[in-house]
Amino acid sequence: MLDELELQSGFARRWLLDSPMMSRDEEIAAAYDELRRFNRFIGQVEKTYIDTLLFKLQGLKDIRTTIKNLKHGATLDDIELFEVKHLAILAADVSKLLAQHDMSGVVEIPPVDEVIDILDPDGMRIATFYIYDSYCAQLKDLRVQMRQNPGQQDELLLQAGELEEGVRRDLSTRLSPLATNIENALVALARIDVLMAKALQMNRLGLTFPALSHDGTSHYKAMFHPQVKEALKKHGRDFQPVDISYGKEPTLITGANMGGKTVVLKTLTLCQYLFQFGFGIPAASATIAVRDEIHFCIGDEQSVEKGLSSFAAEMKNIDAVIKASRENKKMLALIDEPARTTNPTEGAALVTALLGVLAGKDMSLIMTTHYDIDPRGARCLRVKGFENGEMDYRLEEVQNGEVPHEALNIAQSLGIDPEWIDRARELLMNPPANKENDKH
Amino acid sequence: MSIVGLEKNTGKTECLKYVLDNLPVESKRIAVTSIGIDGETVDQVTRTQKPEISLRQGMYFGTSEMHYRQRRLVSELIDVSDETTSLGRVVTAKALTGGKILLSGPSSSNSLRRWMRDMRRHDIDLVIIDGALSRLSSASPAVSQSLILATGAAYSANLTTLVSKTAHVVDLVNLELTSERNINTLMPLEKGVWFIDKSGELKELDAVTSLSRDIHFEGMDDCETLYVAGALVDGFLEKVRKNKSLRQVELVVRDFTKIFVAPQQFRLFIKAGGRISVLQRSKLIAVTVNPTSPSGYVLDSDTLCDRLSEAIGLPVYDLLKNNR
Repeated sequence: MLDELELQSGFARRWLLDSPMMSRDEEIAAAYDELRRFNRFIGQVEKTYIDTLLFKLQGLKDIRTTIKNLKHGATLDDIELFEVKHLAILAADVSKLLAQHDMSGVVEIPPVDEVIDILDPDGMRIATFYIYDSYCAQLKDLRVQMRQNPGQQDELLLQAGELEEGVRRDLSTRLSPLATNIENALVALARIDVLMAKALQMNRLGLTFPALSHDGTSHYKAMFHPQVKEALKKHGRDFQPVDISYGKEPTLITGANMGGKTVVLKTLTLCQYLFQFGFGIPAASATIAVRDEIHFCIGDEQSVEKGLSSFAAEMKNIDAVIKASRENKKMLALIDEPARTTNPTEGAALVTALLGVLAGKDMSLIMTTHYDIDPRGARCLRVKGFENGEMDYRLEEVQNGEVPHEALNIAQSLGIDPEWIDRARELLMNPPANKENDKH
Repeated sequence: MSIVGLEKNTGKTECLKYVLDNLPVESKRIAVTSIGIDGETVDQVTRTQKPEISLRQGMYFGTSEMHYRQRRLVSELIDVSDETTSLGRVVTAKALTGGKILLSGPSSSNSLRRWMRDMRRHDIDLVIIDGALSRLSSASPAVSQSLILATGAAYSANLTTLVSKTAHVVDLVNLELTSERNINTLMPLEKGVWFIDKSGELKELDAVTSLSRDIHFEGMDDCETLYVAGALVDGFLEKVRKNKSLRQVELVVRDFTKIFVAPQQFRLFIKAGGRISVLQRSKLIAVTVNPTSPSGYVLDSDTLCDRLSEAIGLPVYDLLKNNR
């Protein structure tokens, strides 16, 4: 989603990547209020107006080093002074553009007129810079002489150089007290870039504004995964949206292979992050609870560098969830098929036990599994599954966690070798005599 | 417009100076920059040796932050770009007095193209690129529309060899454009070897590049156009020449900078009736010569100019002699 965000400046991207995740209700509510204003704004104004604003924002450069130098009382050189002037004029231009549509107060751009006045002595209002003649009469004379006597240029340049340095010192001294304003203007422009990009992304991808949940439960109607939806669209297929709710009670999702369980977990994780970074949410409507921590454990990551097998890597990840749950953090944990790579007997035991360990903690747990386990204390959701040759990806609430036995049908529909499937079917009907097959 | 030298000391800088001194700066907006060799090592190693260029009042220029700080003229900063070189970012400025500047512009063709795109905002009429040393790629039509070639005794001290080696480069620059239909079809293809058959159908050859050793021209009896998106090399050209079914084929390359073929091999191909054309072409404006080699060997300027001019059918200038 971040890559799909059409930011105009590299600095806005860096600023966004450096911002911490929000975890307070008021903070998130304020962020969405801002975004709502921008969303309404882009819906109201002409496209050419938006293009002008975006084009302006392309000129935003990261000049934090220059600002730091200014704060420390250094004498800025021509390039640094140019950067400051360029930013100040950009801030003034963007302010003016936004003011035309009553958007001034949404993101506060500090006043920069004084900065412009210092660096634009002739009142040209163009974002170019040099040590202007009008800063120093003596300098002006020298330059006239230079043009008249190119032969003496080097000597004249030397004299002019000293005068120019004096002007730079003076300009830097006058700008220094304004450094904080300049810095705030830089950040404000980055925020405007980000908000414009988020608002445009909401329209492009059909995202919604979420409501804040205050009771710890989260609800999504017609939730979708933007990238998967896009990929399906390329193949002429539609993404089937999913409705899902969860609270403090652990949620267990079962269902056939290829039933989209992992996509549900990934989408929920994505939505939670989007929410806590103030993005539009991919759903028809959503009410989301703020969490302190988000844990997403997908079983198939191997940690080769650490020399861990996929099982070991998974166990370590889930271990981190358990440890965090003991610290009473409001947490959202999404665990995809825990212990999937081990044998079914121990695997089922591990999953049942995990449910027991995490139940009753101040957290939301959503877990998928293929194992037949005891679902006591958990809410069970099942993918509707394979019907009439088609997969129904919607979720339905069921009373027990019994897993569907659809693997063979699905394999068959994939056109897998019939001898293999038939033999498996036969084995299910007539289990080999020497193997115990009951379960408790 | 690019100015490229076929070898160090062929008078590229003299040529640039001559051009800058004689352009009508009052009526045209002119910008000048240079392209460093990819990887920039040469710029760094030779930065003290890099000659200063005299700019006239009103000219725009692109150079690195470091060289901007060392400028010996009064200039107004127009832009500080995101393109970086080993000497800092590329800055663009306008000369407010005449004076000297070290040029070190964008360090790759792509960043140069981006820089030129940004220059459009300033209504520049002509961008002059001081090309990288003995790197024709900086004169690619993808970057510049026209070029001036600097050659001389430093490239070869033997008059006949110098004329024939230079004429080869000129032949490549002057290769004809292929048909408009071919340009439209082939321009988007950035890699691989492709051919178009008589029915106009485009097919890709299995060999990935013309460098591949096991290229087989099979099932290509009705091939009309053969397109090499990447580099064209000796071995490939020889195979095409020796393949009877490809006698009438038009061989197309992207532009002359993609041809890495020995003059001998190229001549054999043309002699056998082969045709080579390009998707993009730059206009060769002139060839300049420096008859003096760094080792002190001097060719006769008039003979050199005459012989070369005869061989390439274009005016040839010895700028130093004419200026003397």
